[in-house]
Amino acid sequence: MILFLQSLISGILIGGVYALIGIGLTIIFGVMRVINFAHGDIMMVGMYMTYFLFTLFGIDPFVSVLITIPMMFIFGGIMQKLFINRILGSLPQNQILLTIGLGLIMSNSAMLAFTSDYKILTTSYSSSSYRLAGLSISKPLAISFLITVAITAILYWFLMRTDTGQAIRATAQDREAAQLMGINVKRMSVLAFGIGSAMAGTAGALISPTYYIFPQVGSAFTLKAFVITVLGGMGSIVGATLGGVIIGVVESMGAAYISSDWKDVVVFTIFLLVLLIKPSGLMGTSRT
Amino acid sequence: MNHPGILHNRHGASPLAIIAFIAIVALLIAFPGFVESPYARHIMVLLFLSTIMGESWNIIGGYTGQYSVGHAAYFGAGAYGTLIVMNAAQFDQDKLLELKDLAQDSHLSALLLSAHYLHPWTGVLVGMLAALTLSLIIGSICFRLRGPYFVLASIAVAEIVRISVLNLSDLTQGAEGILISDLPPIIIGGRTITDFSTKVPFYYIGLGLVLLTILVTWLVQNSKLGYFFQAIREDQDAAHSLGISLTFYKNSALAISAVLTSLAGSFYAIYIKFIDPTTVLSLDLSVQIVLISIIGGIGTIYGPVVGALVLVPLSEILRSNYLGESLVNSGLVNPDSAVGNFLTENLSHAHVLIYGILVVLVILFMPEGVLGFIRKIMAKKRLGRS
Amino acid sequence: MFSRIGAVALALALAIPGTSLAAKVKIGFINTITGAEAPIGENLTNGVTLALEDLKKTGVDVELIKEDDTGKPEKALSAFEKLATRDNVAGVVGPYTSACANAVASQADRYKVPQLIPAAAKEEITRKGHQFVFRLNAPADVYSSVLMDVIMSLDKPKTIAYVYANTDFGISTVKTAQEYAKKLGIREVANEKYQKGAPDFRSTLTKIKTLNPDLVFMVSYEVDAITLMRQSREIGLTPKAFLGAGAGFTTAQFLAQKKISNLVFSSTQWTEDVNWPGARNFYNRYKAKFGKEPSYHAACAYEAMMIMAETAVKNHGDREKTRAGLKSGHWNGIMGEVKFADYAGYTNQNNHQMLVQQVQNGLYETVYPAKFATKKPIYPFKW
Repeated sequence: MILFLQSLISGILIGGVYALIGIGLTIIFGVMRVINFAHGDIMMVGMYMTYFLFTLFGIDPFVSVLITIPMMFIFGGIMQKLFINRILGSLPQNQILLTIGLGLIMSNSAMLAFTSDYKILTTSYSSSSYRLAGLSISKPLAISFLITVAITAILYWFLMRTDTGQAIRATAQDREAAQLMGINVKRMSVLAFGIGSAMAGTAGALISPTYYIFPQVGSAFTLKAFVITVLGGMGSIVGATLGGVIIGVVESMGAAYISSDWKDVVVFTIFLLVLLIKPSGLMGTSRT
Repeated sequence: MNHPGILHNRHGASPLAIIAFIAIVALLIAFPGFVESPYARHIMVLLFLSTIMGESWNIIGGYTGQYSVGHAAYFGAGAYGTLIVMNAAQFDQDKLLELKDLAQDSHLSALLLSAHYLHPWTGVLVGMLAALTLSLIIGSICFRLRGPYFVLASIAVAEIVRISVLNLSDLTQGAEGILISDLPPIIIGGRTITDFSTKVPFYYIGLGLVLLTILVTWLVQNSKLGYFFQAIREDQDAAHSLGISLTFYKNSALAISAVLTSLAGSFYAIYIKFIDPTTVLSLDLSVQIVLISIIGGIGTIYGPVVGALVLVPLSEILRSNYLGESLVNSGLVNPDSAVGNFLTENLSHAHVLIYGILVVLVILFMPEGVLGFIRKIMAKKRLGRS
Repeated sequence: MFSRIGAVALALALAIPGTSLAAKVKIGFINTITGAEAPIGENLTNGVTLALEDLKKTGVDVELIKEDDTGKPEKALSAFEKLATRDNVAGVVGPYTSACANAVASQADRYKVPQLIPAAAKEEITRKGHQFVFRLNAPADVYSSVLMDVIMSLDKPKTIAYVYANTDFGISTVKTAQEYAKKLGIREVANEKYQKGAPDFRSTLTKIKTLNPDLVFMVSYEVDAITLMRQSREIGLTPKAFLGAGAGFTTAQFLAQKKISNLVFSSTQWTEDVNWPGARNFYNRYKAKFGKEPSYHAACAYEAMMIMAETAVKNHGDREKTRAGLKSGHWNGIMGEVKFADYAGYTNQNNHQMLVQQVQNGLYETVYPAKFATKKPIYPFKW
């Protein structure tokens, strides 16, 4: 019973971080229909930013999120303006390749700048936990989960209730129609990529106190983000949140009850099943 | 989509092109005769390998428009099929007795045991068969999906294959990988080849496979099959409404592509003589395969050849830092100066970065690949002249 | 069409000469400079840089040709073929990873180029009878046996749980550990492989906690060691001893995590406080030059380069004589006594004495074997 509850709690908490990565990707995909292979690398940039804010200025990772979010927003926006906007109408394989190339540039620039050394960010709470009836709840994960919930709620409100948010959603629904309605589609794309990057960067910031940082750290998370996004339905924020938590729990339960070496197969199988049974994902509506 | 003129293919190439092709092939056949440097031969082998991978992917990705980013699965199937059988054929008595014991309760061990009784080179066929089976399974799952969903599904399936190979260690030796020390002899045309160390056998096997994939691509392009493939690429729904069976033709294209890719995997395995899941089944490899075609120009016979000709020498030049070192060695730059230090030290770290920048530049400025770019320039010149 | 472009590209690739100014003896160094294995590769690069400085001081002047294999066997092979046939090196140090070292080893005899492997652990590499392949470090099986030995000198543990990375190194180390534990009568209660780089081990560790083993044996080559120990503490997993095999438990970064690294045992090829000649000095100079502590890979690469360069220069760059020199030579440097011998199925393998260190009060202390020990081991483990 302890094992079950412990796995469930750990799964949900780590799922919160996954959710943020997924939300970032889902917004980018929803608006641009571009699969962003550089998503993990953007997250890596956020991680280094967090690391240096902590080691150079002593700003706690959970506080530095307030700096990381706007910085990463600008970073993503510039990337969209300079590169991705140029190929929005072009062949899908070129879009994939462009983001792969951008990812290579980011990770290898990081390597030149910071060497390929692992950076470890140690806070006073990196390995501490709350105890509750025999269960342990990781302190850093619990805090980051709360931050995730807050950010998701704000983002949801922004997209649903503000004019800009509605314009972004309209662009996601139908690019051409949105353009005809007088929405500046290119600007919306820049906004969307900025928001997506900010989310990825935040995820990087939140996982930093319990994980480690190196230039190639992104690739594992890119793959995870794909799974989460499709699971939840491409373009759906609620879906991505749900998808992140589900993947977290499945991984955790898989490791506890099947085996840690097969747990990823379980994750990918669920992914394929969802694609086959409900290609639009758990919360998605449109398919193409 | 912009594939100008691809549907109106010139059936039958011009005599000049045919003569050029034959001349080039003749030159390539003669190459090992006058170039003895093993390093040059090695680069040529890598060039062939990349070409085979690119041409194979081109059939499903370029001609049929289904962007599979999971081709490492077929590459791995070929590599593992080949080396598992080859390795099993060389088992000694002790290993056999041990296996017979294990085979009682493990299916995988039983499978491995039966591989012992096969001819060592049949592993290549086993690999092709495995790739074919895999492609049918993957096709039946993934072809229900379109566009980006198909891309992601192909990645997911390839990851499942990778993790399975990693974990089914009774058969595949898992993360430890399979290592063979000697290749069994090949008999071709009455001649028995036992000495592989000159690389000449690999050179000709590679060249043969390149010609095979080009031939298959040519056949596909100039047949009804290829016409249907391209129709599907241009507009799936229109093709469907014309009565073209999407499932059948997509699966056929994938099957051809998968079997050819498995040959590339087999070739890699016997050349390097060591495989493990990271080297032959990773997402990195899948991406690399896609890159060859796209850089060269997809949906054309020679696109992947051009892609390989660009990427292989480029990555070798960058990897070994020819540029930086020759600048320093030529005496133009003082090796102890800051610039010299940058050229010899930092530049050697930056080669993947440069590679990434080039990929981005090609996509932004040559969206139809290098071959497409060259054609466009030539077309412009022709227009200017007339 | 394509061959014209090809010919130009190839001519470019082959024509730009790698000529040298003087007839210095050339040594090749194949290492992983970029890619996923690069973080450890950097230690080897630094070790070699220090070796070159020291060689210059003693009048041994060699030209080093560095090659990056990006962690891929076929690239390692490219590098080796270039070194062997175009650069005409007298010998090669590297590659770092087992997969790459192995690919190169299969070709070393063919080109008759002596290869000295500094840190790759796969046992088979020196078990194939290659005459030109030498290895300085101890292979994977020694990592586990030496760790069990230290515990057996303190206690009679009954149960053991394995948690290890699903990698070549992880699996082969645990395989030998299992055989050894069986011989010692220690019962296995858990066997958990994990994917390198996973962020969450909590459920796996909880599962192990419920089984309450005496020993927890972890193999982690990278920073996963820190994640594992952080989450063990979080969960409250408390065996009698944590045994760590692999580089992840021997880094300065691991040591810096004071809360979680204390009292963990780890096996290593080298420690700075061992009484091998120059070990401490190497540590101090490395730290001064690169601003961080050397890992054992750095020490291995340093010593490998010293041995290769000295031998090659002594033999004026002649490959066959260099091979003979390596085979018959005997060294005593920062890696202790080095001699390449044929034993227990190995060829040209240095029967290197591995050490066990334990973190005590924020420092790595060598605790085993007794003749190299600086402190007594502390047992059992407590948080």
